Amino acid sequence: MIEDLEKELLDAIVKICDIREMIPEEISVDSDLIGLDSPLGLDSLDAVEIVVMIQDVYGVRVQGQDQGREIIRSLKTLADFIRTHSPAPLQT
Amino acid sequence: MKLDFVHKQSAHCECGVTSNLINHQFKDSGQTISEALTFGMGEGLFFGYLPFIRVNKLPLTTFRCPVGKIFKQVTSGLGISVKWEKFRSVDKAMAALDRELEKGHPVGCRTGGYWLPYFPPSLRFHFNMHNLVVVGKEGDNYLISDPVFPTMVECPAKDLAIARFAKGALAPKGSMYRITKVPETLDLEPAIRRGIKRAANAMVKNPVPFLGARGIGFLANRLERWPRKFDSGHTQLLLGQHIRMQEEIGTGGGGFRFMYSAFLQEAATILGDKRLMSVSTLLTESGDTWRRFAVKAARNCKGRATDDDSFEAMAETLRTCSKIETDAFRELLDIVS
Repeated sequence: MIEDLEKELLDAIVKICDIREMIPEEISVDSDLIGLDSPLGLDSLDAVEIVVMIQDVYGVRVQGQDQGREIIRSLKTLADFIRTHSPAPLQT
Repeated sequence: MKLDFVHKQSAHCECGVTSNLINHQFKDSGQTISEALTFGMGEGLFFGYLPFIRVNKLPLTTFRCPVGKIFKQVTSGLGISVKWEKFRSVDKAMAALDRELEKGHPVGCRTGGYWLPYFPPSLRFHFNMHNLVVVGKEGDNYLISDPVFPTMVECPAKDLAIARFAKGALAPKGSMYRITKVPETLDLEPAIRRGIKRAANAMVKNPVPFLGARGIGFLANRLERWPRKFDSGHTQLLLGQHIRMQEEIGTGGGGFRFMYSAFLQEAATILGDKRLMSVSTLLTESGDTWRRFAVKAARNCKGRATDDDSFEAMAETLRTCSKIETDAFRELLDIVS
């Protein structure tokens, strides 16, 4: 089941990346977020928006190039990174 | 056989391999160096816009020093001796690796990361300077401390051999290296001062207009003219190329500024100089500004630009980065001179 933070992130990503295609109803939190296998059809340019969005909204900064790829590998890895690094308690 | 090697994940492979290899040598003394300290002592931070060097027929922009420089500068700065080897024969390269492991030496290898099977397919890309440390062999599998991964990984011998001899630009040609001799203790202060001074010279005393902090302004001026000089398709290609080099999946150029900021915080403690803390804040500000620029550029490429994302606005953002980094590195030169 998709958790609240993952759902919140999905909604934010759809908005900032201006995704107009139909989003699969049963999207897995483990699906690739970026790349050819991404059900959202996102690429590395969208990744830049996502990285800045989570910094603005959740106060977490993705700092390293290679680690960054792992952090935004899926909705789950992104949400886990926010849960463990957010300076303020999460509302969701 | 598996060596007693402490694996630590890092944000950047060359810095991670460098610090992990050095820390292995000093494990009995308890002295360690962090990834950020390695990046700073290795003069990692830089900027260069090189329109005459083409990657995929588009200009090259770099946000760090050349690959390999960090390892060389850190080891030489700390008085550490290193043995480098390159090979023409795959068999000889793998046999040499096995011999070093049998002697109990962890071995750094340069590889084509695309060919390493433990990389998830979506994260693979052709980059022939991916560094890792081989720390053991069990059966036909090598045990690898790949700093990009949270834990040790295994790699079949045939795949590691392909990765060590990946073809293309900057082919690794079986390159491997190991530390052969270290001083009794790590004398960090002079290496930190040297690293800061050299990085600052490269950033603010560089006579070449497209290198260093001045180079960021040079890029701003060029970028502002792109819409008048090229059609929209080519302009988008130029922007896309730049962002991928800056923020390859969101973290490159900005990320290096954050890492240098972390280095300055550690340096402030080691050198006992609080002024380095305020410069650290400037580098964080620069990293954030680089990312703001990348978002504007990405929106242009994706056709969702707003009025705030114009080419003039992007150029101004770059000029802000240039000014912040000029101020920061001038201050650093004052501090270490």
